[in-house]
Amino acid sequence: MAKSDKHHLDSGNGWHGTNVAPIALLENIRRHGKAWEELSAKYGVANPDPPWRITLDATCDILAGDSSVLPQHMVVPGSCALPSLERRAEEDDLSETIYADVPFPERQLLALAHSMIRHGLFNEEELAEQMKKVHERLTSA
Amino acid sequence: MSDKHKPQPMVDEVSDFEILEMAVRELAIEKGLFSADDHRRWTEYVHTLGPVPAARLVAKAWLDPEYKKLAVTDGVKASLAVGVDWINSPPTGFGTPSDYCNLRVLEDTPKLKHVVVCTLCSCYPRPILGQSPEWYRTPNYRRRLVRWPRQVLAEFGLQLSPEVEIRVADSNQKTRYIVLPVRPAGTEGWTEDQLTEIVTRDCLIGVAVPKPGVTTNAKRPVHPAVHPVHHDH
Repeated sequence: MAKSDKHHLDSGNGWHGTNVAPIALLENIRRHGKAWEELSAKYGVANPDPPWRITLDATCDILAGDSSVLPQHMVVPGSCALPSLERRAEEDDLSETIYADVPFPERQLLALAHSMIRHGLFNEEELAEQMKKVHERLTSA
Repeated sequence: MSDKHKPQPMVDEVSDFEILEMAVRELAIEKGLFSADDHRRWTEYVHTLGPVPAARLVAKAWLDPEYKKLAVTDGVKASLAVGVDWINSPPTGFGTPSDYCNLRVLEDTPKLKHVVVCTLCSCYPRPILGQSPEWYRTPNYRRRLVRWPRQVLAEFGLQLSPEVEIRVADSNQKTRYIVLPVRPAGTEGWTEDQLTEIVTRDCLIGVAVPKPGVTTNAKRPVHPAVHPVHHDH
């Protein structure tokens, strides 16, 4: 993936008011992670989407609860973990700033993790620890 | 096993993004935001979705005037004939959170072209059309289509004559849309299966029109938004 920092902001808010200050853990993935378009080309895989795209969408759906079904003014605060409109607005802001050089759906994934940390659903340290556990599991023969 | 049988290529390394997706999901479960079982059911449901049911709905409507009437007046009911139950199929029993169960089928005519967008986010009729393409989610498409629909459609390769009116349908929390395009010349006598093949996802969004021999979507470049994010409003 591109390593350009031309869209990179150290801090500030996006159009929708999103805090687009980078989060170190996710910034490291942005810089060093291999996106599906790179991996699929390397291994000659024709599927345009990574296998995790469906599970990512399912995660977003469940976190949204019924917030997309109801008009915005009827969504009860706290009735779902991450309202879809907020998540999408934040994804827009992050996609145009600190994750502008990340392809889709990797960009959606980074934005989701970013939003979940900013909303306090978990913190950066917890996510780093969980990633370590997952990595060990997936790479243990 | 035959020597000619070769395994399909596969990605043989673990990426940071794959790890991140799993870690986010597992942490959410650990924090009680949803259960593993709920997630499994959602994932299984989303896996079943794709554009073929919507394409078949269009093909049926082209062949059957009565069905066409039903489609344009009650899209949800017409969807049942192509195997999509908007209300009961999703695990919630009330549509998916991102796809409320009110489908409108917009009928094109030779003088009227519909095209679908979601200016607010990326609402999309997933139960009948599957996952939205990347370009549909971009602010560039969402902002510009409503302002300059003719120009944007031209960028998609769809040149419309000035006498064709363009109507942009803006999806929202309550209503989702698909386009029922004009049946193209050269398809006389075709079967429903043949017609279904030429109704691509892009035709159903409205950025393309069906053509005999064209059964796949053109690859679309994705452009960054024209406007910077640091507006005062």
